[in-house]
Amino acid sequence: MSSKNNVSDTTFWDKNRNKIYSKKGGWLIGKGVFSHGYEMMNELVGEVSYMQVMILNATGRMPERRLADWFEAVHICLSWPDPRIWCNHIGALGGTAQASTVAATVAGILANDSRTYGTKPLFDGLSFIQEAMEKSAQGVSVEEIVAYECAKHGGKPYIMGYARPIAKGDERVPAMERTAETLGFSIGEHLNLGYDIEKVLMDKFNEGMNINGYMSAFLSDQGFSPVEVYRICSVLVNSGVTACYIDVCDRPAGSFLPLRCDDVSYQGKSHRVLDEYFSMRQR
Amino acid sequence: MGKRKHQKVTSRNDAFAEKITTRIWEEVSSADNPYIAESSRCHGYDMMELMKGCSYIDMFYLLFRGELPSEHERQLLEQLMIGLINPGPRHPATRAAMNAGIGKTDPEHILPIGFMILGGAHLGAGEIESSMRFLRKHARRPAEEAVEMLLKTSTRPDEGDWYIAPGFGSRYGSVDIMQSKVASVLANLNENWKVLRWGCEFSSLLSPHHMGWLTTGLAAAAFADLGFQPRYGAGLFQLICAPGLLAHGVEQLNKPITAMPFVKDEDYVIEE
Repeated sequence: MSSKNNVSDTTFWDKNRNKIYSKKGGWLIGKGVFSHGYEMMNELVGEVSYMQVMILNATGRMPERRLADWFEAVHICLSWPDPRIWCNHIGALGGTAQASTVAATVAGILANDSRTYGTKPLFDGLSFIQEAMEKSAQGVSVEEIVAYECAKHGGKPYIMGYARPIAKGDERVPAMERTAETLGFSIGEHLNLGYDIEKVLMDKFNEGMNINGYMSAFLSDQGFSPVEVYRICSVLVNSGVTACYIDVCDRPAGSFLPLRCDDVSYQGKSHRVLDEYFSMRQR
Repeated sequence: MGKRKHQKVTSRNDAFAEKITTRIWEEVSSADNPYIAESSRCHGYDMMELMKGCSYIDMFYLLFRGELPSEHERQLLEQLMIGLINPGPRHPATRAAMNAGIGKTDPEHILPIGFMILGGAHLGAGEIESSMRFLRKHARRPAEEAVEMLLKTSTRPDEGDWYIAPGFGSRYGSVDIMQSKVASVLANLNENWKVLRWGCEFSSLLSPHHMGWLTTGLAAAAFADLGFQPRYGAGLFQLICAPGLLAHGVEQLNKPITAMPFVKDEDYVIEE
C-alpha cells in the first residue's frame, strides 16, 4: 500500500472518504426508499411479509412466501417465555434491575451469540450437515461419518444438531415437520441424510435429532449457507427475552430470584490483612 | 413427513449446582438481615482496608489475578491503561458512541453501544484472545523466524490493510506510529516484559513491509506479560478503552443532530 518513494498510497481510503457505497439500497430523499432493487413503499409494503424482507436484507435474495413463513414458525420454536433459559434470564434480570425494554432485550439477544445455544450453533449445524453431505457423496457411509465425529469427543455423541442438552427428544422437530408439510415442502437430500445420522445415533446412543439438526438440514436443502442462516437468525431469541423482561419488570424491583449473602458460595482465599502484603512488597 | 417416530421428551436430570460459586468476592451478612452485607472481601482482603491502602490499579489487578501486583506489574498496568484509555474519535467503537450521543440515545446506553462495536475483530476486543495466543506461541522463538514464516504464508490483499498476524499489520497502508511509541515505552519499563520486547522486535522487522504493532497486539502483549489468561483479554481491553468511548459519546449529547456530518445524496452510491 506504500509507494517506492516512501509516501503512503492512501487511494483506497481516499475513495471511500465522505462517500457511501451500498449494495443494499437506501433512502434517496424525494425519490424513494430502495432495498435490493425494490422500491420499498410501493413494491414491498403490503405485498410481502416482514420475514421475507428480513431474509432479503440478510441474504440479498427475496425468498418465496412459504419459506419466510417457515422461518417465522421456527422463530416461535426457538424463543419461549421461560426465564430459566440463559438469554431469557438476562432479560428477566434487566426487568428486576428496571433496565429499559430495549436494553434488556438486546442484552438477551447478544447473549445468544454463544457457543452453546441460540444462533451461533446454527452455523456449526449447517457446516456439519453440508460437510457430511460432501463426504456421503464421496462414498463415506453414515456409520463412518458418525464414528468420525464421535471420535473427536472421546467417543461421545456430541454432534451439533443431535443429542439435545438438558432433555432427550425435541418437541420442536415434529412441530416444524408438520409446518413444512403444511407449507408443501418435501424432504431433501440433507434432511434425508440427517435422518439417517439420527438413526445411527438412536441405535448406538439412544440420542436423536434436535431442532438445530432439523433446521440445519432443512435450510441446507433450501440452498442456504451457514453464514446466511446465522445472519437471518440474528434476533432469533427476541420475543422470549422481551416476555421474560416484561414479566419481571412489572413486579417490584429486585424481586426476581433475590440472593442472600450466603446464597453465593465463596471458595476463595481466607480473610487476610493488607499489612502482610505491604511488608512483603517492601522486602 | 410428520409420521416419523419421535423420541419422547424427557429430562436428563442434569445435576445443576445448588449455589453460585466464586473465588473473587465474599460478602458476610449482617446479624439481622441475611440479604445485607456487613463486610465485603476481595480475594480475602477487606474492602475498607483496600480503599485505605490501595490504588485503583492495585484493586483492578487483584480483582482479575487474585493477588495484588508487584511494583513493576502495577507500573505496567497503569501505563497501559493510560496508553489505551481512548481509542480516539476515528475508531468505529468511539464513532458508534458519538453517534448514539448525537442521536440523543439514552445516556446509559452509550457505553454498551461502544462496547458492542469494540467487540469486533478489527482493532477490537474480538482480536485480543487470538493475538495473545499468537504471541504465546511465537514469542519463545526468534522474531525473525516468525516474520519469515508469515511473509511466506500470507499475502498482501489487493485492497485495504494487511493484517499479517493477530494484533499486527498496517494502518491505512503504513505503520501505526502511535502504537509503536506506546509499545516502546511499555517494553522499556522492565526487562522482564519479554512478550512486549519480542513484539517490539517483531514489529520492527515488519516495518520495511509497512506493518507493525496494532492496538490489539500491544494490549495482548502487555496482558500476556502481566499473566492474564487469553480468555480475559477481550473484556480487559473493553474496560481499558471504556473511558474514551464514554467521554466522546457524552460530549455529543447536547449538540444538535446537525452537528455531525450526514452524507449527501450525491455521495451516496447505490451499486447495481
